[in-house]
Amino acid sequence: MSLGISAIEYINGIKNGTITAEEFVAKTIEHIKKVEPKLHAFISLNDNALEQARAIDKKVKAGQNVGAFYGMPISIKDNICIKGGKTTCASRMLENYTAPYDATVVSKLNAQDAVIIGKTNLDEFAMGVATEFSAFGPSKNPWDTEYVPGGSSGGSAVSVAGLESILSLGSDTGGSVRNPASFCSIVGLKPTYGLVSRYGLVSYANSIEQIGPMGRRVEDVALLLNHIAGKDPHDPTTIDNKNQDYLSGIDSGISGKKIGIIKEMSSGSGLDSTVASVFKNSISAFEKLGAKIEEVSLDMVEYTVATYYVLTTAEAGSNLSRYDNLRYGYDLDSEGYEFKSYISKARRNFGPEVTRRMILGGFVPSAGFAGKYLLKALKVKSKLKKQIEAAFSKCDFLISPTVPVLPFKFGEKIDDPLAMYLADINTVTANLTGVPAISVPYEVKNGLPVGIQIHANLLQEKQLLQAAYALQNTTKLPEVPL
Amino acid sequence: MIGLEIHCQLTKLESKLFCTCKANYRGFEPNTNICPVCMGMPGTLPRLNKKAVEKATMIAMALNCKTPQRLGFFRKNYFYPDLPKNFQITQLNLYGPTSIGEQGKVSIEGKEIRIRRIQIEEDPGRLIYEGVSERTAITLVDYNRAGTPLVEIVTEPDFDNPRQVRIFLNVLSDLLENLGVSDPTLEGAMRADANVSIEGGNRVEVKNIGSFHDLEKAIHFELTRQTSLKERGIEIAQETRHWDDKRKITISSRSKEEDEDYRYILEGDIPWVIMDETSLQGWKKNMPESISSKKERYVSKYRIPAQVADVLSSDKYYSDLFEQAHDESNAKEIANMITTDLMGLVDTREKREQSKLAPKHLSDLVLMMNSGKVTRSSAKNALQEIVKTGKSVSDIMSSIGLAKISDESELGKIIDDIISQESTAVQQAKENPQTINYLVGKVMQKTKGKADPTITLNLFKKKIGI
Amino acid sequence: MVTKEDIEHIAKLMRIDIENSDEYFERVKKILGYFDILDKANIEGEEVPVQQVAIDELRDDKYVAFEDPLIQQLKNYRDSYVRAPKMN
Repeated sequence: MSLGISAIEYINGIKNGTITAEEFVAKTIEHIKKVEPKLHAFISLNDNALEQARAIDKKVKAGQNVGAFYGMPISIKDNICIKGGKTTCASRMLENYTAPYDATVVSKLNAQDAVIIGKTNLDEFAMGVATEFSAFGPSKNPWDTEYVPGGSSGGSAVSVAGLESILSLGSDTGGSVRNPASFCSIVGLKPTYGLVSRYGLVSYANSIEQIGPMGRRVEDVALLLNHIAGKDPHDPTTIDNKNQDYLSGIDSGISGKKIGIIKEMSSGSGLDSTVASVFKNSISAFEKLGAKIEEVSLDMVEYTVATYYVLTTAEAGSNLSRYDNLRYGYDLDSEGYEFKSYISKARRNFGPEVTRRMILGGFVPSAGFAGKYLLKALKVKSKLKKQIEAAFSKCDFLISPTVPVLPFKFGEKIDDPLAMYLADINTVTANLTGVPAISVPYEVKNGLPVGIQIHANLLQEKQLLQAAYALQNTTKLPEVPL
Repeated sequence: MIGLEIHCQLTKLESKLFCTCKANYRGFEPNTNICPVCMGMPGTLPRLNKKAVEKATMIAMALNCKTPQRLGFFRKNYFYPDLPKNFQITQLNLYGPTSIGEQGKVSIEGKEIRIRRIQIEEDPGRLIYEGVSERTAITLVDYNRAGTPLVEIVTEPDFDNPRQVRIFLNVLSDLLENLGVSDPTLEGAMRADANVSIEGGNRVEVKNIGSFHDLEKAIHFELTRQTSLKERGIEIAQETRHWDDKRKITISSRSKEEDEDYRYILEGDIPWVIMDETSLQGWKKNMPESISSKKERYVSKYRIPAQVADVLSSDKYYSDLFEQAHDESNAKEIANMITTDLMGLVDTREKREQSKLAPKHLSDLVLMMNSGKVTRSSAKNALQEIVKTGKSVSDIMSSIGLAKISDESELGKIIDDIISQESTAVQQAKENPQTINYLVGKVMQKTKGKADPTITLNLFKKKIGI
Repeated sequence: MVTKEDIEHIAKLMRIDIENSDEYFERVKKILGYFDILDKANIEGEEVPVQQVAIDELRDDKYVAFEDPLIQQLKNYRDSYVRAPKMN
């Protein structure tokens, strides 16, 4: 029994009796204990995982109804709430915070008999591309632990790539699922805005972020999406997907489909030459699959990083205001403080990047600057939406490298926030326009993974997963060196 | 010039604006009417109450406002311990008209007061200050109120004096009650801030005013203060001042300008609501009849005197009673009974809540009166009993014997007694027949109002020979 | 041009104690300077994009108490109040 099997293989194994949930979960826990000191994918582990797996095995044996995941170990980013458990957002501010309710995605996973194996590491409040901003220390890239795993859902990507879980849920505000998926050579999907409920996802930039499934195989990601998507009365921004099945017909192929290469994301000085050559190889693969390739231009992409940071910092500044340490938080006696000084003192527990983004987020909507920054960013967002709509009237898919650069070493970009922000150039467009985008692992060059990003039009996840599946089958990836 | 910002809770709703906690938080132990949503716990999202949109739209329509095509919400960002999220979800017209109403107007005594804007927003929690000195001061927070649906009504600076303000607030209060959206008599359900300025001076905002009574005082104080500054040639600073309830003066608040930058941003968690014409028309149709239309109808249809109709129509409790109790034949008497006999018995919220009176009591009583079975004064006594016990009119008649005494022999005995006790008055009546009313009154007193006044008078006249 | 004082003012507004180093201010200024690229974008005629819903999709007005005792894990003071620092 290999921990590296796919979700589909796991389910078949349980169904035909070759594995039990208990065995698999036990082996997973054992493996986690072994590799965690090196990888640090998790912030906390579920102490009841084995017990839950046992209960599910019992149901299987008794022939009772069992949920679609059959006790499969799934990890969850630690900015998604589980009732009664810690939800830290990798921040000292919430180190001891216990959520009083389950996120909708958590209720859904529990209803389908998943075993939530643990909560994964992230950049504090999901702000970052390397997990270097976790208050509890970074996660390490399993392909080379000198390198960052990407972020902000770095822990989720590491847990999947490092065989510590079969699937994971991350969150993607500007690439936070796709970036670490690319850096760790796994699959990560940012769904259409509103397809997956955000109820219970701690907000960073609520108008553009989504919870996204991550796995080693495209079909696994489709399976996970099947069980988390759909309208939720707790989240007014969700949309009805009519219970679409993303897994059936995933092998339909993409012959005859039109694929646009986004010019602004696939050329220029910011693009690493290794990434460029891998991307070129993927284009040939798409052609061999029978797709028609053309180049499209979205000239607003030039402004998307600035737009993204204006909008997200403004929302973050507002969303994170609630952490004033009065109602919940950590121990800090208010005796002897007046209100303002107490809050400022309490908020020193935020890390440097969160603090910086809140400062920026205070600027952009403030009286003197709102017209200069916020309003313009909103208008760029509007125009970009129109441009991508126009592109999808000609193309079925739009592609680019997921990240223009290779995974980098720890500390390489931490002192240059602007350089770090520019690494988001290829991923933020999907968030700003709401369209779904997936990162598919394509090659590992000199020990460092490179992913390919595919966008589809709003709510076209089924088609998108078919394209990703087709691309996946054109490449053979090496095994992760654990 | 005076302008108002009035906050009115939609107390008649079941649930809060964005969650399912109770809208009317009164009567809960501190922090027991709360949930993850109204506490702004990490990861929660607001879910807009449909009824709040409907009721607020009715207010906008009643105040002759334009309603928007799309309803949008924004975050007003500022730190305060009564705000669980440290921002308030509210409305403004930052990107086009998206607040629930704008550009309305109301007439009071021939003066037009323009409504600038109406917005839906969430009420903060409540702060309770303890400790006497600065050093021992403690702030306690109760979040039961946090998220209660509020409607803020902003007027143009159209008031000339405190009196107009008072009249306007009374009219508005009656209007909100009549719409069935709020009970403005509940403590804290209706609150107002004032913007006060005099010719050539800056605008001063006065906040923290506990009652409408104090609002009038605060405006008066502020007008006087500003006039005196002007006379002394001192510039009137543009500022926010707080009403000091104990000293009855306004005090410059220490909040600095930096706190006034609310950094408004779109509330992305609440999609803009498309205010479709069908819903708007439906709500308009379901709006209760306006106070002025009721009044007009009472006067023209039932010939109820204008003054009575005014009292009846402007108080929803009275007009509801009237509507349910009256028919073509008894309208005028019912109206009279409500506005004269009943009024003192049910003039406060507590009395109304405890009252056992039903509309049928009124129609039964009027029927008894009209058919000569009870006197007006007995009816008044009966009302007291009904309000207290809720017994049926016929039960009361038999149990405490309020039926009219028209038996001549019974009345004759009583009159004989009074003639022997009141010889002076009898003598006076003989000289000046007008004063006989005093003696008839004595009979009424003795019979607790049950004596038939006409028979009594005639019998008296006969017995003393006038 | 954004000044050090502007940044300090915003930090106060956001209730954040920032490091008082030139390096820190320069980094923030550099990012804000980068945002100026938006001045070049041709966005004439664009409106603010928003998501929309129909009235019928709003929540029905029903009272349902949140009964999970976990909500009582607030930092309580004197049984049930939350304590805030003194206000002035």
